[in-house]
Amino acid sequence: MQMEQKLPMAKIQVEGKSKRGLGRALIQLGLTLYALVTLYPLFWLFTSAFKTNEEFDSRPFYLPKVWHWDNLTRAWDVSAMGTSLINSTIVTVTALAFTLVMGALAAYVLARFQFRFKAFFMGLFLLGMLIPIHSTLVPLFIMLKQVKLLDTYWALILPYTAFELPLAIFVTAAFLTAIPKEIEEAALIDGTGYWGIFFRMMLPLSLPALSTVAILGFLRFWNDFAFALIFISKPALKTVPLSLSVFATGYSTDYKLTMAAMTIAVIPTIIAFLMFQEQIMKGMTAGAVKG
Amino acid sequence: MKKTWLIALLTVMTISMVACGNSGSKDASQENGSTAGTKTEKVKLSIWHNYTGDDLRAQTMRATLEQFQKDNPDIQLDIQGIPPDGYRARLKTVAAANEMPDLFVMWPGIMTKEFDGGGLLQPINELLDSKPEWKEGFLPNSFSDFTIDGNTYAVPMAMSPTSILYYNKKMFSENNVEPPKTWDDMMHLVETFNKAKITPIALGNKAAWLAQSSILSSLGDRVTGTEWFLKAIAGEGAKFTDPEFVQALAYLKQLSDAKAFQDGFNSIDNTQMEQMFAQGKAAMMIDGGWALTNLAANASPEAMADMGATVLPTVPGGKGDPDSLSGVVGTGLGLSKNVDGARRDAAFKLIYTMASPEVQKKTLEGNQLVSYKVELDTSKVSPIFAEVYKLLGTVHTTPVYDGRLSSAVADVMNNGLQELLMGGNPENIAKKIQDAQDKELAASK
Amino acid sequence: MTTSARVKGFIVAGILPALILYLFFVVVPVFWSAYYGFFDWKGIGAAKFIGLANYAEVVKDPIFWKGFKNNMLIVAASVFGQVPIAMILALLLTKSGLFQRLIRASVFMPMVLSSVVVGIIWSYIYHPQIGVLNFLLDSAGLENLKRAWLSEPSISMYAIMIPIIWNYIGPYMIIFIAALQNIPSEINDAAQIDGVGASRKLFTITLPMIWDTIKVVIVLCISGSLKAFDLIYVMTGGGPAHTTEVLASYMYNSTFNVYRFGYGSAISTAIIILSLLLILGSQYLMKRDYR
Repeated sequence: MQMEQKLPMAKIQVEGKSKRGLGRALIQLGLTLYALVTLYPLFWLFTSAFKTNEEFDSRPFYLPKVWHWDNLTRAWDVSAMGTSLINSTIVTVTALAFTLVMGALAAYVLARFQFRFKAFFMGLFLLGMLIPIHSTLVPLFIMLKQVKLLDTYWALILPYTAFELPLAIFVTAAFLTAIPKEIEEAALIDGTGYWGIFFRMMLPLSLPALSTVAILGFLRFWNDFAFALIFISKPALKTVPLSLSVFATGYSTDYKLTMAAMTIAVIPTIIAFLMFQEQIMKGMTAGAVKG
Repeated sequence: MKKTWLIALLTVMTISMVACGNSGSKDASQENGSTAGTKTEKVKLSIWHNYTGDDLRAQTMRATLEQFQKDNPDIQLDIQGIPPDGYRARLKTVAAANEMPDLFVMWPGIMTKEFDGGGLLQPINELLDSKPEWKEGFLPNSFSDFTIDGNTYAVPMAMSPTSILYYNKKMFSENNVEPPKTWDDMMHLVETFNKAKITPIALGNKAAWLAQSSILSSLGDRVTGTEWFLKAIAGEGAKFTDPEFVQALAYLKQLSDAKAFQDGFNSIDNTQMEQMFAQGKAAMMIDGGWALTNLAANASPEAMADMGATVLPTVPGGKGDPDSLSGVVGTGLGLSKNVDGARRDAAFKLIYTMASPEVQKKTLEGNQLVSYKVELDTSKVSPIFAEVYKLLGTVHTTPVYDGRLSSAVADVMNNGLQELLMGGNPENIAKKIQDAQDKELAASK
Repeated sequence: MTTSARVKGFIVAGILPALILYLFFVVVPVFWSAYYGFFDWKGIGAAKFIGLANYAEVVKDPIFWKGFKNNMLIVAASVFGQVPIAMILALLLTKSGLFQRLIRASVFMPMVLSSVVVGIIWSYIYHPQIGVLNFLLDSAGLENLKRAWLSEPSISMYAIMIPIIWNYIGPYMIIFIAALQNIPSEINDAAQIDGVGASRKLFTITLPMIWDTIKVVIVLCISGSLKAFDLIYVMTGGGPAHTTEVLASYMYNSTFNVYRFGYGSAISTAIIILSLLLILGSQYLMKRDYR
């Protein structure tokens, strides 16, 4: 299968190869330029992390005159970044695992079965995507206190999972609806149970969707400031966003150290993103084999 | 391949469940152990602060806490540093859920009043009375913004004059001008610098409170006098729609109409404003005492040597004392109502330590003003800090608007000033402020 | 066990874990917060029951409607800006070559960075004195186009929309790619054999095949736009004088800066209701079933 044929531009394919090559080159050039623009902030962040505050403000778009490597170590120490990275990893990975398994299961049921109240459940989960999270802080705080989960990892893991489930369910369900019914019916005739179908067919088939959910979930959990600020008070349990915000006093912001801390914190995110992106691609080939 | 992925996922889930479960139960058993322990009954105290950054003040305060913990092995501190940006939100949330820490950094004025109104605080008069020498060491009126009905709830650990007129001596002499004494001088300076293609006054009003705290609080006082403001907030015989307050707004508008500030000041934060002034891109800046700490950390010594400081100029026919600037005492440690017995003693000890003469001196030497009588060793601070310190000895302090107004009215005023500076109408804005104030007064009755 | 009982059992077991977590951590706090909306409460001290007064005030509050208008601008920008751009990028980048993977990763990068970094860098791009945009206008001889982009009321909202669109294209692109790869290759092959033209194929095969995903993306767009907060909060804080205020920032300010918990809760409930209406409306408009 040739991918270009999906493109409207590929219409010109009949008009000869040279024109097609030129069109493709132009598209590639455009895409490259666009990519450079989107990559620039990352580059800017990395360079800003090595400046002085004076330089940060007076020459925001230049390279640092002197590379201040000690910004990184200073930021690491003052913000207790080591502890935060461990905590964020534990919380993010656990919450992701819950989100993916629960979300995929619910999505499978909602996408492939007919039952009463189905529309109601879909509507209920839809509601979850509309909620401005800041309004739930006080009630959630009180509830977490009642069930004695405040100041544990669970105080973040459970709300994170709950708030990400709607998105997980929606994206995965939409994806699963597109899979032909026949696949499932054949398996049922073979005597495979629903759990078997879910684990052995649906889960692998929805890997691209789940990877998408995983990327979005990872970013949300890794970067959440509001829940982490309110539900965690033990310094030993603090997560990364709290460490990133210690350099602004309300009267001034220590930009160089903020940028240095962010540089450290963004690296795991990039790695996670690249990992999941590969999964999206693998899922594609896996999906194409069956049928 | 797919299976491995799935198995990995499930394994992570189980492991984390076990791990999290364990950590939870371990903590519980530790807590049980310590409360049940008979030998060393440690006194536990929780304290929340916002000294999280890398500036000298924050370092001093954190070091003081650590030292206190070392010196007092019988007291176990649960210290929590909360990012300043989220500090108030966090405190408000836990207060709403009635889960206050034992000690916490608290602002004077309206915040103290609100927390006291919610019955969350206990007074520390006893501590102050037990250390008369220490009590006497504070500057006059240092406790007034922490005191309600004779009960004092905290002592200030710093001081924040909010409206100092900083100017660049070099630029002034190059243009043959003097710091402004009168409003006419000021308007004349604006004209002179604009002609010389120099921004007269740097302003960073993105956070919206700056024009209010640093400019209007003092400018308004010049026009209306302090008494008028106190009447207006009490709702007794003065209103923000009165001609004198509208006149104060008109002065501010006059500055912006004369292009006294650089373009886009409403989208620039005060760190950038301070940098702009420090880099010689503007001749003046109206900012608070906090600028001194920031400048000491980020501006070059040469730049700081060129800086001078004075108060805002007088206005024609003004009712206020021209030798004054607006200011508040700094934050103090609030004490929760739930602390009693040995824990209360420990808390008193910590409150004293954090505001003791030694710590106040260290704070002062970190280029942060304090509300305590300390002899300043000028060799330890920046020249501009020494100059401001001297200036403060010669003037008296008037209220800062948002320190006295309720948060809701202050918010309306802040947004109103942004509008005013963009060309809004003083009468309309004064009316909006008064409407909010009326609502507030009606609600409190 | 009968088949139908097995099916029922599976449906319940599949949905229940997600549902319980979701009800407890999302639905309950939302209704709790709506309940706070009936009180005059500063967050401290006694709350006074005032019936519908807060909600009535929301309906009459000009700043609330100003925020709503700004939110609608963002909704329009993301539905008609983000979605098409994300779709075009997805179509161009479905293939898994090294080039495509690199570009894909780049397009996603702004998402990986925290909104604080993105907000700061755009603030510097728009900076009235040292900003890149004004510098470029200057060098192009277009001095009279120079602006204080973020503080002029007539343009600041539009200036803010550009980074918002740019920042959140990545996730939609990824969701589209995942959906495109789910289209069975037989269908593409069949289309090729039948000699269907590329653009016709796009509109008659590709788009209908992923129509459910498009619907989900539009729901995500609307809900995301109505919750827009982070970037605006960093770049302007809703100012100057509420000109860039959006519903979520107004809710946050009312709750945590002005300390009107009851009123903040009422705003947040109003946000949820308005979002639901909008989404139901959009679903109704997109009801057209392709299959």
